[in-house]
Amino acid sequence: MKSTVHARKALILAAFALVMAACGGDGAETTTTRAATTTAAQSADTAPAAEEAAPEGGAETTVAASEPEPAPPPAEPVTVRAAITGDEGTLNPYTYISGFPGWNLLMLQYDSLLQLDAAGRPQPWLAESVTVNDELTEYSVKLVEDVRWHDGQFLTADDVAFTVDYFINNTQSRFARDLRGVAEVVITDPFNLTFVLEAPNPGFDLVALADVPIIPRHIWEPVTNPEEHQFESAANIGSGPYKLVDYDEGQSYRFEANWDYFRGTPAVDELVVVVFADDAGALSAIRSGGVDVIFERISPEQITLLDAQDPLDISQGPEFSTQMINFDASRRPFDDVVVRQAIDLAMDREDIVDTVYLGAATPGSPGWVHPGHPSYNPEVLAVYDPNLANSLLDQAGYTDADGDGIREFDGQPMSFEIIANSSDSLRLRIAELTVEMLAEIGIEGRVAAVETATWENAVWPGFDVNNGRNYEIAMWGWSAPVQANTLRVPSLIHSSPGIGSLNLTGFANAQVDSLSEELLVEPDPARRLELLSQLQELIAADLPFVLLAYPDGAYVYDSSVYADWEFIAGQGIVSKLSLLPSSARP
Amino acid sequence: MKGLIDLRRLGQYAAAAAAAVTLNFLLPRLMPGNPLVLIAGVDVGLLTPEQRAEIIARVGLDAPLWQQYLRYWADIFTGDFGYSFRASRPIVDMIRDRLPWTLLITGLSLAISAVAGVILGAVSAWRRGSKTDLGMLSGMIALEALPPFWLGMLFISIVSVQWGLLPSFGAVTPASGLVGWEHIEDILRHAVLPVATLSILSVPGVYLTMRYSMLETLGEDYIRTARAKGAGEGRVLFGHVARNAISPVITVLAIRLGFAFGGTVIIETVFSYPGLGRLVFEAVSGRDYPVMQAAFLVFTVAVLAANLAADLLYPLVDPRARTS
Repeated sequence: MKSTVHARKALILAAFALVMAACGGDGAETTTTRAATTTAAQSADTAPAAEEAAPEGGAETTVAASEPEPAPPPAEPVTVRAAITGDEGTLNPYTYISGFPGWNLLMLQYDSLLQLDAAGRPQPWLAESVTVNDELTEYSVKLVEDVRWHDGQFLTADDVAFTVDYFINNTQSRFARDLRGVAEVVITDPFNLTFVLEAPNPGFDLVALADVPIIPRHIWEPVTNPEEHQFESAANIGSGPYKLVDYDEGQSYRFEANWDYFRGTPAVDELVVVVFADDAGALSAIRSGGVDVIFERISPEQITLLDAQDPLDISQGPEFSTQMINFDASRRPFDDVVVRQAIDLAMDREDIVDTVYLGAATPGSPGWVHPGHPSYNPEVLAVYDPNLANSLLDQAGYTDADGDGIREFDGQPMSFEIIANSSDSLRLRIAELTVEMLAEIGIEGRVAAVETATWENAVWPGFDVNNGRNYEIAMWGWSAPVQANTLRVPSLIHSSPGIGSLNLTGFANAQVDSLSEELLVEPDPARRLELLSQLQELIAADLPFVLLAYPDGAYVYDSSVYADWEFIAGQGIVSKLSLLPSSARP
Repeated sequence: MKGLIDLRRLGQYAAAAAAAVTLNFLLPRLMPGNPLVLIAGVDVGLLTPEQRAEIIARVGLDAPLWQQYLRYWADIFTGDFGYSFRASRPIVDMIRDRLPWTLLITGLSLAISAVAGVILGAVSAWRRGSKTDLGMLSGMIALEALPPFWLGMLFISIVSVQWGLLPSFGAVTPASGLVGWEHIEDILRHAVLPVATLSILSVPGVYLTMRYSMLETLGEDYIRTARAKGAGEGRVLFGHVARNAISPVITVLAIRLGFAFGGTVIIETVFSYPGLGRLVFEAVSGRDYPVMQAAFLVFTVAVLAANLAADLLYPLVDPRARTS
């Protein structure tokens, strides 16, 4: 049995090489747009890889063809056992639980039209090419032909149009939000279609095309209540490189490679995902050989410790999650920009990176955008100058009249509660350092460590900024997607709750508002970059929050089992790219 | 004897159950925090107010509290607790999947600690004041003071990581495809460390109860009589003293049996064991109201049933407790 499977793999590899070569020809002929250029680049990348695959596959094919019964010596199938902390449900688009790693595991079974490459840029995937009109209101997609669902049916434009309708009509998933603003999907032929948007959306490729999993019409059409629908088998029919074959709630998942995957045969034959209760359990498991990789970031103090142990290795890179100080900028004294600036100047970001992260983080840019991000403005720099902070506060009249070492505002001591969630020990340590740094400028901080839901409820009551805020100072952080897409910047800083849905600090600045509004509809990428640069300068000057650090992602894996992990900038190693042969990666 | 249980007693149990059910309903809702993030996912902040309202309505959280309360009572009688906010699975299924694992490790450790605690307690009391007694007594008190997570992690780092003898996580080897005896052996291997940890931690309670109860019994006249009759040591110890001293131990064990249904959050977390304790912990962290309500109900019923069992068993074991 094994051997036939491998012979089949070889045939597919050979076929794949041919298809890729054909694609290369097509790509060279199409010209005009940015996206078309990407296609050409893509095929240029993959062509040599296809050649690589050909001899190996070719040899096996000959054997299989001349002698169908006995088989070539089968390679040892690769099984990777991965640890996650917390169950992720049945992992279909309506039941997966966390944004990380739940969405990532979901996307092993499904594909999106575009796929992020290692640098975090969207590249053709189910879509062979995407072209955009000048107004940024029509995204035309040409699908790769001959893509099949796990059950053998073909994936066509009809499935894509159905997916869009389905997600929009069954709003319980994040993909409904991704697709907001889609007026209609026009199908031109079975492999060509156009997304028509209500308004220009420069980020549609990243937010929607590279995020939304395409689902099969023939499976989902009869499902009326997707969140509660119980499918008979664990297998979620997708088009992705892996099929879920077993699921034991609270215990484990077993994925099997999809040998017919249209981008190339997966390098890992079987992926077993084990559910742990916490990271301590996962760490002892990888140290005792119970699992081969941990699909969660490991803490800085574990990096050298685990790296020193053979055969464990670390994959490390920049991620776009943030650690920051929020203050309620709508109340005294944080409504005064001088106070916010003084806090910013008092923060020794290098010290935080060295002491708390042991170097495994990037110091925060006061303009919000990560220095590794393409839209980073390099002129925005963090300054650590407590003396300047002190003189600013003195000049503004925040003096220590009663001589207790704490300045006063409006007759009250500048003494504030700093609320943080007790479940995040690194954040608590940053809070303690913040207290020390604030003491240098005569501001007293008192750390209040509370349970996560309580902390969220104080900073972001009901997850709705219309409800206001119940904190003075808070240690806060956003997950990577908020920063990865720079078009989310307006949501953090715009004063109206409609646009500023993540503006948790009550920040308001008319200039920021108008630039934000312009950014959201600007069709020209160069102008958008310029607007983003200006916004970063404004954020750094007016400080809706103080950004302290961007923690690196670090993942531990057993290199004797599988070592070919791909670190996607800003996203980490948990993606289908890591499990595909390098020839199939964009 | 007027029957095993009278009406007043039954009324007491009903009142306790009703009060517990009401608390089960209220406690989750009195906690600060909001299940919305669990239902809507991480980018809950990007929801429009209409989408937010729709989500809240879909899970029935927009109804007035008294309606939700009545709904909960209806759920109890129909046995249908709806769907988890988090996992989008029927809650009854989730509890049914988890309960056996919890009962396996708590049941085994209860049995082990009961036998070990009773025997050691009896021996210790029998030789009261001796080196054996004092050694055992101080050992047990030390054991009782051990933090459960620490003992569990100690086992993991020595037995699993250093020696590589036993698995450190889970109830079975994931995706092993084992069947029959090998499957059972696999389950037992995974249960060894959690059961050992739990047993070690619960022996002292049983031991101490047994020892004190024995010491009291040893002073009774009928023990002297038994000895005077010339009964052997063993016969006196197990036939007379231990038998009479065991009633308080039964009460202790019955109550523990009730709590055993609640699982052990700490042990199940340390060993990543898929029991009910972990389910409840996850539900509490995420404010998964329906799962909390259903799981708390299981605990309530189990504790009340165990109490009832103790009430019923007591007169059988100890004729003095039989009412006339």
